[in-house]
Amino acid sequence: MSGTYGLYVVRQTGIHRLHPLTKLVYVLVCLLIGWLIPGVWSPYIVLLIGVVPVALIARVLPEVIKNTIKTAIPFAISLIIVQGLFWTGGTIVRQLGPFSLKAEGLLFAIRGTGRIILAVSGFLLLNYTTRSDELMLALSQKGLPNSISYVVLSTLQVIPRFQRKANTILDAQRSRGLETEGSYLIRMRALMPLVVPLLLGSIVDIEERAIALEVRAFSREGAKTSLLVLHDTRFQRAIRWLLMLGAMAVIGWRFYLWLAPRLA
Amino acid sequence: MNLSVENISFTYPGGAEALRGVTLDIASGEAVAIVGENGAGKTTLVKHLNGLLKPTRGRVIVGEWDTREHTVAKMAARVGFVFQNPDDQIIERTVGDEVAFGPRQLGQSAPDALANATAALEMVELAAESGTHPYDLTAPQRKLMTLASVLAMRTPVVIFDEPTMGQDARGVALIGNIIETLKSEDRTVIIITHDIDFCADHFERVVAMADGRVLADGPAADVLAQADLLATTNVEPPQLIRLAQALGLPGAPLSTDGFIASLRRRDGTR
Repeated sequence: MSGTYGLYVVRQTGIHRLHPLTKLVYVLVCLLIGWLIPGVWSPYIVLLIGVVPVALIARVLPEVIKNTIKTAIPFAISLIIVQGLFWTGGTIVRQLGPFSLKAEGLLFAIRGTGRIILAVSGFLLLNYTTRSDELMLALSQKGLPNSISYVVLSTLQVIPRFQRKANTILDAQRSRGLETEGSYLIRMRALMPLVVPLLLGSIVDIEERAIALEVRAFSREGAKTSLLVLHDTRFQRAIRWLLMLGAMAVIGWRFYLWLAPRLA
Repeated sequence: MNLSVENISFTYPGGAEALRGVTLDIASGEAVAIVGENGAGKTTLVKHLNGLLKPTRGRVIVGEWDTREHTVAKMAARVGFVFQNPDDQIIERTVGDEVAFGPRQLGQSAPDALANATAALEMVELAAESGTHPYDLTAPQRKLMTLASVLAMRTPVVIFDEPTMGQDARGVALIGNIIETLKSEDRTVIIITHDIDFCADHFERVVAMADGRVLADGPAADVLAQADLLATTNVEPPQLIRLAQALGLPGAPLSTDGFIASLRRRDGTR
């Protein structure tokens, strides 16, 4: 991974070379379809048809799978517990002591988990194959204000920097005798000495970065020069339009499904 | 406390091989400087001495303890480590409390922790700032506070990572005095530095590293006089040695007195 470009994974593939907006639109359309098409398994189908093959071609599939699982598992567990065990009414599938697992709650949790997995994997696919500065430039060229570009860009860049800083802080505190291994109680006690320097350091870091930007004319009004050149093609533009038309068709169809019974 | 680094190698998870078969024996009370260009493996090596990193091959023994078998927090009672950036550890609201953090973690009694913190603050000349918020100190002062927070732990081994970086001449002299004090207390002092003149002034033994290996290890005068060897790891000999070599003087003087003695030896005067 590259610390300079957020989560970007350097690979020489056709997916990496695509215009950032093409990938952004593709991922957003996948998410939209997965969320809007009815059915418990629709997010998973979109994931298998839309995200997995592209991640495979881009040679980032292992990274996408690993980090999607890491992110989605806590959500999945909490959804299954909350919706599966505390669903009001519904068909009881299994009795677990004082609790009963409901089929409707379970299906809701499966669908919810699928949506989260789809959103996380789509976001990761986009970020693993797209340099964040190129994505922001592409959005700026479409009229996004520079300040918003910077906020998004710095948020993406801050993740690896945060990880490195957290590791250094962990090393520094353990070297002063702070025990971080062992029971949950020990780990909880170690949390404050790790979080406080991370937060304070980050505030100082943000302030220094803001000053560094200001002294280099960041807030100057007027056009700015970009050293990056984004390559776009007529074919990609056509694909983007087709994807957006497809998304609009899905939205229209979904709206019709919602409206039709009310008009009947 | 003796340290023994036995043929260790270390590869980072990303695959970068940072150490390749390093062997070092450091006796109790020795003062050792580790020099070398960035990426030579200096920091990776010293992180093995308190167990922050565990060797991929080989082992590190710190006074009978194998670092692989103990947590870093436990090793901290034996090996103190002063990190480069003070802001990576500040947790308390006052300088005094911050310096007492390490002793408290080690389970020292409250009076001992307080006494050790006070003594350490006096050593770094920050006793008057005991009640100040750490972030109200200047950056060089915060670095000295970090140093004090490790000195207060009273460990038999103290490791410094670039302690003179960002310090003015007065700060460098103060750190030099602290190192001399630690040496006089028979504590083992290990330093990573790019400040070769500081290294020549205070360290009797120098280890030069390059590409994850020990390039040279021996008395400071011997190692620091090898200009060609040091050049391979982008280190220049100290100014006095370079001047002596330019003048064709015998030996490798590390001090002004040594330089004058070399000058007299060449001229045949006493």
